[in-house]
Amino acid sequence: MDVRARLTSAAVRAAHVLVVEAPGGWRERFAAERAAAARGWTPAASPADADVLVVCGAPGDDLAALLDRVWDQLPGPRARAQVRSPTGAGQALAEAAALLADERHQRRDARERRQEPAPLHGDMDHGGMDHGDTDHGDMDHGGTDHGGMDHGDMAPAGIPLASGGPDRDGLEMDVLHLSLGPVLPSWPAGLVLDVALQGDVVVSAEARHVGGPTAEGHHGLEPPERAAYRVDGVARLLDLAGWPDAASRARRTRDVLLDGDSATGHRLLVGLRSRVGRSRLLRWQLRGLGPPGRPDVHDRLLRALARAVDDLGRDAGDPGDGTSEDGGAGPDGLASATVGLELAAVRLVVAAADLDRLPTRREVVGG
Amino acid sequence: MADVSVVSPAWAPAAALLVLGGAWGAAALDGVLSGRSTGLPGRASSRRPVDEVARLMRQRRRTTVRADGLLWRVGGAAMLVAALLMVVVVPLGSWAVADLAVGVVWFNTMDVVVWAAVWLAGWGANSAHSLVGGYRFLAQALAYELPLMFALTAPPVAAGSLRVADIAAAQDGLWFAVWMPVAFGVYCIGVVAFSVWGPFAPAAGADIAGGVLAELSGVDRLLVLVGRYALLVAGAAFAVPMFLGGGSGPLLPAWTWVLVKTALLAAALVAVRRRVPAVRPDRFVEAGWVVLLPLVLLQVLVVAVIAVGRG
Repeated sequence: MDVRARLTSAAVRAAHVLVVEAPGGWRERFAAERAAAARGWTPAASPADADVLVVCGAPGDDLAALLDRVWDQLPGPRARAQVRSPTGAGQALAEAAALLADERHQRRDARERRQEPAPLHGDMDHGGMDHGDTDHGDMDHGGTDHGGMDHGDMAPAGIPLASGGPDRDGLEMDVLHLSLGPVLPSWPAGLVLDVALQGDVVVSAEARHVGGPTAEGHHGLEPPERAAYRVDGVARLLDLAGWPDAASRARRTRDVLLDGDSATGHRLLVGLRSRVGRSRLLRWQLRGLGPPGRPDVHDRLLRALARAVDDLGRDAGDPGDGTSEDGGAGPDGLASATVGLELAAVRLVVAAADLDRLPTRREVVGG
Repeated sequence: MADVSVVSPAWAPAAALLVLGGAWGAAALDGVLSGRSTGLPGRASSRRPVDEVARLMRQRRRTTVRADGLLWRVGGAAMLVAALLMVVVVPLGSWAVADLAVGVVWFNTMDVVVWAAVWLAGWGANSAHSLVGGYRFLAQALAYELPLMFALTAPPVAAGSLRVADIAAAQDGLWFAVWMPVAFGVYCIGVVAFSVWGPFAPAAGADIAGGVLAELSGVDRLLVLVGRYALLVAGAAFAVPMFLGGGSGPLLPAWTWVLVKTALLAAALVAVRRRVPAVRPDRFVEAGWVVLLPLVLLQVLVVAVIAVGRG
């Protein structure tokens, strides 16, 4: 094998994957994440970091259009995979890997892809991933000349400048409009939060959904699957809390539970629960986050773990009753809960609200 | 005065290679440790840095609309440059690339350069998440820098010199890490923090799509990632003459001891990432000013009193 081929196969071994979940595609996402981990692939944090774009489930037209823009942001060599059923994940990723290693295909792709950002339409809500509209750059072709896009001083490259507004201390401060989601790791599928930021503090927020219906039929889940779903939410929250190690362990626990191995799953789950519960640093970071008078992010995290143990029909102490407190409030409640928080806290609060979407075992059994 | 022979500048590339080798080792260790939690087999995870470098060398560079290209690239490269400049004052046994009378101040200057580097890397991309990452780093820097500066003054006070070799020589018999543990602890926190690593990596956090890394790809990203590991290694290397007795140790020659101590400390700093969640800058600022700063000032006071008492 010559040097070039060896380098290519090394590069493909280390690929980073941007996994996007269409509403209702969580089973496919679990399978895709698992298949990616089995290949030794790493989750990508942004399109710039990604070699492979994996779309899980069936995106609606609006989400599909956004995904095309995200696709434009992948630096390349790049590959795109569609996972339509959980069992198809391994095959889809294998094809993506082959495509990624195919030098001729990649060269052709580089030649034929758009060299300029797609034209903007004047509104602010078709931002790709998470950068609002500030980022549709493709590759670096020896310069940053997008002169053709210049619409005058008030909107360089078609992007309106930040406008001013009074901040919480009554001072004038720039306001930046940014769309969080729908393509953002550890973010609820299909959710878009249009926020106005001053610095990194959200001053107003509006939630909407893209990508199709959000009803996901969680009520009919078997206990191990329900526990797995909860543990996945825990993994995402831990990722956002900057603890990738614990998040990886949570994901492994999730996969064991999905395999139906309740005994091992229970053992791993209990280990995870005590590790997360013991961390004083985590408590310090998550305590007090969220709407006042409600359980904070740390409470919700521990409660989700307790409920997962409870799902398996084992004694978990008090998993709490009540269901989706924030889920019941709907997206508007979620949006208003994020106002006044800085970006990191917003991410944690949204992820914690997502933890409460499943009813508890008692509710399921009782109702 | 401790004896250090200043080697010819032609040896500087060798020092740079040592730092890069250390960065490589740190990345490999992190690969193995993270492989253990994701369930990847050991062999695959130890060659992780090789694969990752191959991936990033193959990946295309990209830019963003209206990026501040020059400052963006300068910021990306400056972390590695700062790390390389840090180690020039670290004596490897009896050799050093530079033997400055104010070696400690030099190190401190370089760690302040990192402020600019990370912030520019966040600023240059003209992207909201990058910029938030850059500002997060500044907030974090406000929290760690003053405690770090005072932690850096404790060994010079005890040794009566700002020259790194003198400080190493002054630890004859008793390491400074032993009798000024608070300064050592705060120093280690500072190193992890200016390396944007582990608990102090919110500037590159997953919650803001990678923050300062969000828009970087290809070789630009590689440069920043290498710079991060290099800073961690340079920080560990500088701790050896400052707190860990320099090249002193039984049997082995002094230069070997410097390398061994550096490797062990760097490994410990790498491993921290697996153990703890991120510390958000808004909460860390409070801890930095209310807890760390008074503690380290007290430490300096104790050291100063002892130094005066000894005459």
